[in-house]
Amino acid sequence: MNTTTTAPTVAPRRRRRLELNASLVVGVALTIGFLVIAIVSFFWLPSNPNIPNIKNRMLPPGTVDHWLGTDGLGRDIIAQLMVGARTSILVGAGGATISLILGTIAGLVAAAYGKIADETISRGADIMLSIPGMVTALVLAATMGSGALTTIFALTAFFTPSFTRVIRSAAMSVLQEDFITSAKLYGRGKLFILARHVIPNIAGVMIVQFTLYFAAGILTEAGLSYLGVGVTRPSISWGMMLNEAQQTVGISSPLAMWPGLAIVIVVLGLNLLGDGLRDVLDPKLKRRS
Amino acid sequence: MTTSAKPHAIEVNNLVVSNGDVTAVRGVSFTIPQGGRMGLVGESGSGKSMTALALMGLLPMGWNTHGNILHDGVDLVTQSDKALSSRRGRTLSMVFQDPLSSLNPVRRVGDQISSVIRRHTGADRKVAEAQTIELIKQMNLPRPEQLVRAYPHEISGGQRQRIMIAMALACYPQLIIADEPTTALDVTVQKQVLRLLNGAVRDRGSALLMITHDLPIIAAMCDTVAVMYAGRIVEIGPVQEVFRNPRHHYTRGLLDSQPTMDNIALDGSSRLVSIPGMVPPLHSLPTGCAFNPRCPAATDKCRETMPELGSNGVSAACWHPIQTAGEVAAQ
Amino acid sequence: MSAVTPFPADARPLLEVRQLSQVYNLNRQKLFAPRPKLKVLDSIDFSVRPGEAVGLVGESGSGKTTLTRMLTGVERPGEGQVLYDGVDVWTGGEAHEKLFRRSVQVVLQNPRSSLDPRMRVGTSLLEPLRSLRIEGDHAARVLEVLDQVGLDKNALERFPHEFSGGQLQRIAIARALMPGPKVLIADEPVSALDVSIQAQVLNLLKDLVRDLGLSLVFIAHDLSVVAYTTSKVYVMSSGKIVEVGKPLDLFRNPQAEATQALVGAVLSVEAGLAGSALA
Repeated sequence: MNTTTTAPTVAPRRRRRLELNASLVVGVALTIGFLVIAIVSFFWLPSNPNIPNIKNRMLPPGTVDHWLGTDGLGRDIIAQLMVGARTSILVGAGGATISLILGTIAGLVAAAYGKIADETISRGADIMLSIPGMVTALVLAATMGSGALTTIFALTAFFTPSFTRVIRSAAMSVLQEDFITSAKLYGRGKLFILARHVIPNIAGVMIVQFTLYFAAGILTEAGLSYLGVGVTRPSISWGMMLNEAQQTVGISSPLAMWPGLAIVIVVLGLNLLGDGLRDVLDPKLKRRS
Repeated sequence: MTTSAKPHAIEVNNLVVSNGDVTAVRGVSFTIPQGGRMGLVGESGSGKSMTALALMGLLPMGWNTHGNILHDGVDLVTQSDKALSSRRGRTLSMVFQDPLSSLNPVRRVGDQISSVIRRHTGADRKVAEAQTIELIKQMNLPRPEQLVRAYPHEISGGQRQRIMIAMALACYPQLIIADEPTTALDVTVQKQVLRLLNGAVRDRGSALLMITHDLPIIAAMCDTVAVMYAGRIVEIGPVQEVFRNPRHHYTRGLLDSQPTMDNIALDGSSRLVSIPGMVPPLHSLPTGCAFNPRCPAATDKCRETMPELGSNGVSAACWHPIQTAGEVAAQ
Repeated sequence: MSAVTPFPADARPLLEVRQLSQVYNLNRQKLFAPRPKLKVLDSIDFSVRPGEAVGLVGESGSGKTTLTRMLTGVERPGEGQVLYDGVDVWTGGEAHEKLFRRSVQVVLQNPRSSLDPRMRVGTSLLEPLRSLRIEGDHAARVLEVLDQVGLDKNALERFPHEFSGGQLQRIAIARALMPGPKVLIADEPVSALDVSIQAQVLNLLKDLVRDLGLSLVFIAHDLSVVAYTTSKVYVMSSGKIVEVGKPLDLFRNPQAEATQALVGAVLSVEAGLAGSALA
């Protein structure tokens, strides 16, 4: 071959650096702390968070053996917060996971399987989104009885349509790329294209959305439990603790403060994690510079 | 360089633009006299667009400017955002590559032009609207009275770019920066838009900084040219001189590697001389002259020491500048 | 490499379209009005012979994108035929369609979009062989093709974002060469590349046509780029082929209005320096 077509030297291999990004670091730290507390709660608790102890009612924070005090029935706050973390993960992650799976399937079908599928799924999602979430939750609680499982169902009903929309639009933008046209020209079917080209390219979006909906799930669960249509004893949830604290709020305000603080910290942590991951995973943001 | 009595449209001294991580512009100096026209040539990553954004004070977040940009009696580097923003569109203005994304999609194009006029001249609505229509007429656009009421998506790309030029020229700026103004347009429209820009800039006596990778455009529009490579100007001078007798091997390479009517035979027999290798990424520039890995004349000196403009008595930053035919003969 | 004999002037076209027309239905202007129709291609005849390099130029909206979609088999024509080696691609049976799919390969404008960012280059290169179920020593083929486009084999393990635009376009060309095509369709293959890289890619395409005896269809808006790479140019305007000829003749003596506009739009440094470019 002619010598003027000089082979370019290949650029020095650039590793994808996980740049230290403040929101990612703080988000990871808070989220790991939250997960560790939930895991520890399975093996060790300061005391049984469900057994009332009238003798120890309304102990103030700082009391030996009950460092954050006790509630109106003498149950240890730390133990309740720890079990509450477990519930938050079960319900928040459970709801987010199921909606992610359903939303991904529906979103991919809408994006790739023609106008009729798209219209059906997109309008279906619109209808579901137009029903107030609380109504769905109350109806579910009334028909299925309240509890963690019902709450997960309610979350799935709220989140799946929004997931579907996000996945659909992300998948559609990947499907417009030229490499999809190439794959079609080579005779690849839809399933192959979705599995090998589309999903790997929207994985970043899926992960980020998952963390954000995990956080939203924890908030929603707290809201439902606060209203008394969420989790019930012997399970414990931070929302339920808020509800119970309401009865004694005149006597001791820290009772409402602890679960409130726990919710704020964990939701903040997950949202920071999601934002941080978005910056790291989004190739479009990376390529600028 | 001494400051002449007559102020320049812009004087840039040792401009550096960096974001702490990488330096996109590494010490660039040039002046454009009142009414002068300079072309800034470069490829992606050469720093030409960052230079333009620095002049406009429109750098993306995280990027900093050092050096001086003297314009209209002030140093733009030290100006506040507010002061800069009151200048944009008035004493200096810019025409961007993509007219669709630089016009507001939900406002009528006439309103967008007249609001620029009102903001900078304080003219009342009626006067500004009359001026807008006059301006659109000057842009050779058909039916100005109807066009002012159109939204950007309702008109063609060439028309949108003319609207952008009208906006940039509305307040008779001292300097217009045009960043690849015709790249997004069809080739047949390109020439009309360039012709229009050429005339409109001349009529207003504005200076022009034309940023492009397209050498024929510079040859057609400008009187001086600066060639940028890896954040520095590697050659600068009158267009006639630089294009007829390029001193820098990169300039020569650019002239040779773009197929134009000048360098190809139409029977398919010709072969372009291509520049080997690729543009180095900003975070791993070679030592010495940044062009040395791709340069046919590179020696150890080029790999060790960075040449400056004028180091060899020519206006190119090169240790081994290309000799003109006359110089070769004299030896 | 062996010298390729110039194609005989009467050789049968390898890829050909005959009387191709395509009409698109636009959105209704009024609720019950019939949908307006837009004739994007109007009775197109176009052919490329073995070893021949032809160009296709036209402004945006001239129909060259749609014609490209027909030539590459992305879109089925409404009227007329697309023939590969004399047989209709859409009605010639499955075996012939497969032959067409492997023999006609395409290189697109933007290499960043034409390679999957999450797929290693090596996997992307093997894709045509795997999906077209082409047997043989795949590994050897990959190395051979990498050599043809001037890339090193350490490229195989990497992801597209690790390469510059010019290198990616070489990779895209390599992928197109993998199934051993007879026709290469290049749709604006250099307009997204840096100026100093364009000549490398254009020269590579020229070399491939010469050394491998490929036919090339080069689609571009820039007449000088097409003139450099091809020996015959089709000019399109408003869905029709308005002129066909050698680049030299088109430049010297353009007949159709669209050709005159394209030739008139070509800027050159010489004309610029002489002060006549914008006259």
